[in-house]
Amino acid sequence: MAQGLEVRGLRVSVQGNEILKGIDLAVEPGAVHALMGPNGSGKSTLAFAMSGHPGYLVTEGSVKLDGEELLELSPDKRARAGLFLSFQYPAAIPGVTVANFLRTARQAVRPDDLPPAKFRKLIFDQLELLDMDPAFLGRYVNDGFSGGEKKRLEMLQLAVLAPKYAVLDETDSGLDVDALRAVCESVQALRAEPQNATGFLIITHYPRILQYITPDAVHIMMDGRIVLSGGPELANRVESEGYDVIRGEVAGGVA
Amino acid sequence: MASLSLDHARGLDSAALDALVDALGQGAISIDARRAALARFTALPPPDVPPGRYWKIDLTKQEYEDVVVQLDAAAVASSSKYVYDLAAVLREGDPDLRAVFDREFRGTLDPAHDKYAALTVAFQNCGAFVYVPAGTKLIEPIEFTYTARNAIFPYTLVVTGEGAECTVIERILLEGDAPFVCGVAEVVVAPRARVEISSVVEPGSGRIFTTRRSKVDRDARVGWSIADLGGDLVVDSLHVRLEERGALGEIGGLFFADGTQHVALETQIDHIIGETDSQTIVKGAATGHGQGRYVGNIRIHPHAHKSDASLRDDSLLLSKSAHIDSIPALEIAANDVKAFHGATVGAIDEDEIFYAQSRGIARSDAERMIALGFFEPAITQFPHALRNHIRAALERKLPVNP
Repeated sequence: MAQGLEVRGLRVSVQGNEILKGIDLAVEPGAVHALMGPNGSGKSTLAFAMSGHPGYLVTEGSVKLDGEELLELSPDKRARAGLFLSFQYPAAIPGVTVANFLRTARQAVRPDDLPPAKFRKLIFDQLELLDMDPAFLGRYVNDGFSGGEKKRLEMLQLAVLAPKYAVLDETDSGLDVDALRAVCESVQALRAEPQNATGFLIITHYPRILQYITPDAVHIMMDGRIVLSGGPELANRVESEGYDVIRGEVAGGVA
Repeated sequence: MASLSLDHARGLDSAALDALVDALGQGAISIDARRAALARFTALPPPDVPPGRYWKIDLTKQEYEDVVVQLDAAAVASSSKYVYDLAAVLREGDPDLRAVFDREFRGTLDPAHDKYAALTVAFQNCGAFVYVPAGTKLIEPIEFTYTARNAIFPYTLVVTGEGAECTVIERILLEGDAPFVCGVAEVVVAPRARVEISSVVEPGSGRIFTTRRSKVDRDARVGWSIADLGGDLVVDSLHVRLEERGALGEIGGLFFADGTQHVALETQIDHIIGETDSQTIVKGAATGHGQGRYVGNIRIHPHAHKSDASLRDDSLLLSKSAHIDSIPALEIAANDVKAFHGATVGAIDEDEIFYAQSRGIARSDAERMIALGFFEPAITQFPHALRNHIRAALERKLPVNP
């Protein structure tokens, strides 16, 4: 079975419009890939299609996680196969506490693997790493949370669920420096796991997060296609030249 | 024509009334007052809940010939020394207590409008009088239970002295095939007193009519939480009057109509005078063919300046045949007032379901989790002692998916 999170020839439509026009992408186990692109290029569409959001229609292609085809699976089964999505705009679930939600999610993806005391310790260790007040556990999921608090909760879930592959959708947008650092530390910690390191697909508009996390590969998406792939230096090009220059080069056949 | 027997009186007419008084004595209410009340019940119209496409029950066509009045409605069961069985208060009670009772009894009822309260007054066959003297602050909740095997007409009166504090838990249990409950609860809150009262109708069948009334004096507070979990037909009316400055009224209501249950809840807060505050939070859900109706009234009377009122009313529909009508009514006749109203009605948000699924939680588990979460803001209005019990009862009503 081939290891990795592999997207092959993926075409996705939203409300009748084709947004992704054939995406090929592969994230090796434990690797960090960055996906960059101007607004409207289809980056979030890729994230939602991989997770199985019902509003996104896959018309062609495949998404495999360590050899298992995800596209036939419901969103919860994809998560149980080892996929995690960090949302750009996480939903609020009033009345459901963070503690309850974390416990239910952990039990769903890793049933009965940790005795309650060890699970509590895991949570409290992560709260500390993320500089989050334990009072968070009693709050309702994302209800009345600031942007930074929502992103921290995404990272807390990431750490607690320890998936095989995590797609971070614009996780850095709207964050202050401290929150951004917390996000990056979470990513680095999971990346550094000696066994079962998490593979990341970091979707971002700005190169800022990539100053803290050096990716193994960078891809640039424009108009629903990946137009350029390269090493970490590609992120520097985006920073210094901007997307328009790169768009011009790609159009002209020069890259 | 009522059929007289030692155990019960059938039907809700004057013959049944005579049988009741023969068996149990007049109790707190004279036979003349009972007869007058029965006449009022017959003459008054029911609340306006028109049958239609969804709500199927016509309150103007309710039949009572088969209602069996319990002649053995037991003395209320409670271990608290502040709860007096109604019959005992009147037979043997101390005169000061009797004076308090006489002063407050029926003080919050409106004979011109309260149809079902009139029926309670007519057939009252069980009851509790809770009296907490001035300055007494009770920590342990006062609990008592009314059990309906046939028809009971419970009357609860809670009176506090100045500065008193107490928590009251009133439960109605429904047993047998055709229980019938028509009850009244009055809560009188003296200056600087604080009363938390919870009224729970436990799961079961039958028809339930409840009239709940409170008046709140200067710098005093009532927090009334109601959970309508049982009954085929429930008509529940809760009014709070804020009569003096600094009065605070908080209502927390929840209902969950499943099967073919029909639940009609009406709440009203009257800000009679200024510098009074209120908060109303109602969470209603329906599944199966359950029908709900919620009317939420806030009345800020003329000259009740600087009042602050909020009404939060949310309805959750868990099946295609379930329906809830939600009618807020804010009447504001004063100046410098803060009045907030927020409402939602609909099915479970698909974004919330997808978010939970993306964490590995199966759709049906996500729906249960989110539906239970929906009730939480109302559940936290109940005393801690009751919360898990209510959560468990709500969870049992959730549809079980294959």
